[in-house]
Amino acid sequence: MPYNRPSSNRQGPRGTSSQRGAAGQVRKKRTCRFCDNKEDYVDYKAEKKLQRFVSEQGRIIPKRITGTCAKHQRMLVTAIKRARHLALLPYVSDAVK
Amino acid sequence: MPDAKRVYETTFIVNASLDDHQIDAVIEKVKDLIVKNGGEIRELVKWGRKRFTYTIKKKNNGFYVVIEFGAGGDIVAKLERHYFLDDSILRYLTLVLDKRALKARTAAALLAAEQPVAEAKPEEVAKPAPVAEAPPTPAAPVTTTTV
Repeated sequence: MPYNRPSSNRQGPRGTSSQRGAAGQVRKKRTCRFCDNKEDYVDYKAEKKLQRFVSEQGRIIPKRITGTCAKHQRMLVTAIKRARHLALLPYVSDAVK
Repeated sequence: MPDAKRVYETTFIVNASLDDHQIDAVIEKVKDLIVKNGGEIRELVKWGRKRFTYTIKKKNNGFYVVIEFGAGGDIVAKLERHYFLDDSILRYLTLVLDKRALKARTAAALLAAEQPVAEAKPEEVAKPAPVAEAPPTPAAPVTTTTV
């Protein structure tokens, strides 16, 4: 969870520990979906699954937002790029064009 | 490693404006090429016609085919040259399936094999119960479900 740490540090000097606890409760703890499901391979053919990790414009969503771990993000990125090559996912969505 | 056989997966898109038998002929050619070069086809999946998310050669549709095959490394260059020269093939992608991918593949196949059985079982169990208990008293199934 390296990406939760900076935010908690930022809140540290401002609020008391109880406030921080409250903030911690509000902030939803994100976990890597692939680790949760114990998936060790991201398939480029499952475009429905990959769509979750792509923005409306067709851009790959960074792992700090989706919570995907580094290892799976790397696999995800290659899978998305392969899917794009086969026109399963857009390079740029029609809305942007 | 000249003898080392690997598992490859090749996906290609055939021009969907061709007739079905013409598409089949294109697929046959690819299959022939793999077999003649000492490969063995493990799986062939035709996805059928699918809409592209962007236009390729001014076309919006394509016929997707996925072939999984085992072969030596020299086959890939021949296969990709064939794809390149065949005008009715719009796009292609050939990958080596590594250990992880193969493991995921077998796991997915196992899951797919298990799921219909798992889904069928509760139905089988649920169906006989009301039939067996309904005739004596109509209230009987309700009590069994609460327990």
